[in-house]
Amino acid sequence: MFDFAIAGVSAPISLLVFVGFTVGIVGGFIGVGGGYMVTPALIVFGFPGYMASGIDMTHIAGKGLVSTMRHRQLGNIDWTLALTMIAGTMLGVELGVRVLVYFKQLGLAGIVLLLTSVVVMFSLFLYTQIETRRSHRQMQELNKAGRDPGRELQTSSLPRLFQSIPLRPIVRCRTARVVVSMWVIVLVGVVTGFLAGFLGVGGGFIRVPALVYLVGASTHIAVGTDLVEIVFSGGYGALRHSIEGHVDMMAVLFMLSGALFGAQFGSIATSYVRGPAIRYILSYSLILATFGAVMRLAYVLTGQKVEWLSFFAVMLTLGEMTFLCLFILSLVWFARRHKRGEWVPDWVKPLVIS
Amino acid sequence: MTDTSSRGRGIVKFVFWALVATTVIVFTVRSYTSGQMAEWFYHRASLNGYAVNADTLKGASKDKPAILLISTGDTVSGLQAVRVQKGQRLPRNSNGVIADDVVTKGKRAVLTDATLRVMVPWEMKESKGFKFKDSFKHKGIVTWPWVGVWNMIVVALLGLSLGLMAEGFTDMLGLKLEKIRHHVKS
Repeated sequence: MFDFAIAGVSAPISLLVFVGFTVGIVGGFIGVGGGYMVTPALIVFGFPGYMASGIDMTHIAGKGLVSTMRHRQLGNIDWTLALTMIAGTMLGVELGVRVLVYFKQLGLAGIVLLLTSVVVMFSLFLYTQIETRRSHRQMQELNKAGRDPGRELQTSSLPRLFQSIPLRPIVRCRTARVVVSMWVIVLVGVVTGFLAGFLGVGGGFIRVPALVYLVGASTHIAVGTDLVEIVFSGGYGALRHSIEGHVDMMAVLFMLSGALFGAQFGSIATSYVRGPAIRYILSYSLILATFGAVMRLAYVLTGQKVEWLSFFAVMLTLGEMTFLCLFILSLVWFARRHKRGEWVPDWVKPLVIS
Repeated sequence: MTDTSSRGRGIVKFVFWALVATTVIVFTVRSYTSGQMAEWFYHRASLNGYAVNADTLKGASKDKPAILLISTGDTVSGLQAVRVQKGQRLPRNSNGVIADDVVTKGKRAVLTDATLRVMVPWEMKESKGFKFKDSFKHKGIVTWPWVGVWNMIVVALLGLSLGLMAEGFTDMLGLKLEKIRHHVKS
């Protein structure tokens, strides 16, 4: 146990390092900050809600930087895409925060926030899951036919639609191999930023599918590029929280020490898998987070009297991190076996690089 | 470039950035444990009231209130409360201000002669659908604004040094990470 003088709580160091490590793996692999997992965990450890958000945001900025550097080495970042999107993201976040303040004044923030989270996350889960299953099937067929399915395959027709919008200036994203109107990228930034600002999250779980299905980037590029956005938005959020005095730097240090290893592993793990594998993990994280939000919504709607709903929501959120980590670890393990020519399940073969 | 020289550069990179990361960590831990960081965080009063060390109020209840001796000076020690005005520097060791209106209402704390009796040291609040105990800690205080910049510099330096240290480590082990060639099949 460590006494955090600024936060005023005693919390076990090992749990903070563990949370940093697990969220580092998941965040580095699917390109999210993991705020929707870390904040509840910190509250469970006894940190006050405002401190939990501040510590989480500051740790996300540091962890995002570690992951970004590894993704840069792997060539997963399209800087043109990232820098074009930043202005839109910042504008969207500001709009989202203002709308949230409006709902807070009406006294509806809690219910509206949870309801929006549930709708957005479940819709994204459905679309990602259906599309990824279709891609997975096509990859299996290519595999059976003895053809290389490539690093990425996606079956959505939305990117073609958005790439055909003839609004100038047209941007050529060389690394992502995408040619698209600058306004499409800015709009994606504004919309995803708005949702992130409104829901009070980093927004990676919205931005990664948006980059894949609207802009047409590969999943690996979407993950790396989104992490650049997270460094900027997380950095700004951390600055704001620090000025408000919501950050205990020792807690951030402990979490970052775990995240260092987790983020490295998660980022490097992307080089072992094909795009649909990352999208599968993203969609499972979305549905698990949706269940957690449904529990909390039910808890709020029942007048916060049914305590087991809140308890179950917390347990689900913590269990989610462990489950996703194990899933990622098993994919890497299968990829290594497949490379050595050892047996792996048939459904895994199209998802990993041999 | 030969494999040996690549590994050699990896060792230099790893050692250099490990040293930078260690320096940043040691500097941060020292600032924290010496109480310097707490002084930056609990910097000034944002309202008129009584500066307290909220950690000493944890066990207080209506049946067994915490009785704080009102004193003057630049340090709060144990069960003491120091009168502060809005904008005034907080006394050392204090981490919250019990506002005048809380004392006036008399539900959570009351003023009796030269003592402040605290009966309800925390209340339940909610954040993102989760309940937490919200105490007097961090109430009525203003953090030194430059602490935001300081935190950002520490986090950026730490992220950068840890990231480059890890890159150096893999280079040192000779683990080649090749750039992925991106192409979307549809």
